[in-house]
Amino acid sequence: MVLASVLVILLVLLPLLQMVTGPTLSNLADAFKDPDVRGAVGLSLATSFGSATICLVFGTPFAYLLARKNFRGKHLVESIVDLPIMIPHPVIGIAFLGIAGKGHLIGDALHALGIRIMGTTTGIVAVLTFVGLPFFIGSAVSGFKKVPERQEHVARSLGASFAQTFVRVTLPLAWRSILVGFIMSAARALSEFGAVIIVAYHPMTAPVMVYERFTAYGLAYSQPVAVWLIAASLLLFIMLRVLTLRGETPE
Amino acid sequence: MIDIAHLSIRLPDFSVQNISLTIESGDFFVLLGPTGAGKSLILEAIAGLVPIATGSICLHGTEITHLPPEKRDLAIVYQDGALFPHLTVEANIAFGLRYKKKEVPDPDSQVQHLMERLGISHLKNRKPATLSGGEKQRTALARALAVKPKILLLDEPLSALDPTTRADITELLSELHKEENMTCLMVTHDFAEAQSLSNAMAVINNGRIEQSGPTHTLFHHPETPFVARFLGVTKKLKSVPPAAVPGAKRLKS
Repeated sequence: MVLASVLVILLVLLPLLQMVTGPTLSNLADAFKDPDVRGAVGLSLATSFGSATICLVFGTPFAYLLARKNFRGKHLVESIVDLPIMIPHPVIGIAFLGIAGKGHLIGDALHALGIRIMGTTTGIVAVLTFVGLPFFIGSAVSGFKKVPERQEHVARSLGASFAQTFVRVTLPLAWRSILVGFIMSAARALSEFGAVIIVAYHPMTAPVMVYERFTAYGLAYSQPVAVWLIAASLLLFIMLRVLTLRGETPE
Repeated sequence: MIDIAHLSIRLPDFSVQNISLTIESGDFFVLLGPTGAGKSLILEAIAGLVPIATGSICLHGTEITHLPPEKRDLAIVYQDGALFPHLTVEANIAFGLRYKKKEVPDPDSQVQHLMERLGISHLKNRKPATLSGGEKQRTALARALAVKPKILLLDEPLSALDPTTRADITELLSELHKEENMTCLMVTHDFAEAQSLSNAMAVINNGRIEQSGPTHTLFHHPETPFVARFLGVTKKLKSVPPAAVPGAKRLKS
């Protein structure tokens, strides 16, 4: 049992340790100074947080509905929400290009509105929202479920409207799970490669750049970019752990 | 006065059927019944927290059947208090006052008065997680009374308490009811609680009213075997006049 545990930990840690200890400090500094690298990491962060914000805005009311209401077909809706986790990500990219292309009803409407998916930041944000949504919804639903419905009932009977109850009772009790969902969806989006490379090779996100440098110049050139990507992911991971651990500590 | 007429509630696996009740102003009315009888559901329907299928609810002559909960001028107290865990005792009590500026023009003194009356002033900065069961229930009562509701709805407010605290809160409820001349509607499964607090009551079984009326009438003249059993009347002997039995003699004591 102990041996299996050690092996699992090593499997996770060794490649990452090799990755961060591989490049020299000057390699990392050079990579950081490289405007292409900074642009790619910046674009990855911006599109990831952009998609997480869309998840937050549209996913919060949806998650509340799933947590509070029972309706016919609820299990089907929950399955649809989880579907992006199971679908191979290049397939997601191809599916998005399929509906956004000319000749498709949605594609024609998007073209008429001047919205392009292929090779644009919009396209990147669209697929990142798709892959991040289940992580946000899952966490937000569990957060809302932890708020006893009776507390909302009491607030309503004391004179608070639905919106006032949500702001004064539900949100203060569920914010941690919502924020965890936000960070998880952003972290998932930050690491997305398969769907993004189909929809937009350019503008180049950090994972696509790691791939491009690896195929064009080899391992040594791809590692510094990868380390910066790991650093950004690690930052999100630490935020997530701090939030989760504080949530578990009784107040 | 609250007038409930032909109230029905339909859930996927349970229904409450054709409930009609009149609760007079100043009554301490108890809905008594076993667990799962539907009494809490009726209470939440009156509060507007559960959709009703048919029927009407009138409060002081105004129909409130389709009003949202916040417009009904009722306040509900649950078994566990359902205090807001992120707020202090004082903030819990003051919660509804920002919506009742007309009814309570001086919210600060209202909160202070209630904390003193219910003996929880020393807890005002505490969070609910640090309170005992009795302290939680006192805070929940103060929070409900703060908004000066026309009817106080109590959903098994004593059942989660230990016997000593239960006696304290029962006495407090009785005193508050008299002091404030408040109309109270309480749900319970304990006939002793019903007997000690209520002046009128209804016995509910399986979503229907078995019998309703003044408390002493129900205890002395139960109309169905269920009501008799539930109120603790275990045996009722039918008296037969001696003249009706041939050869019977009256015993002299």
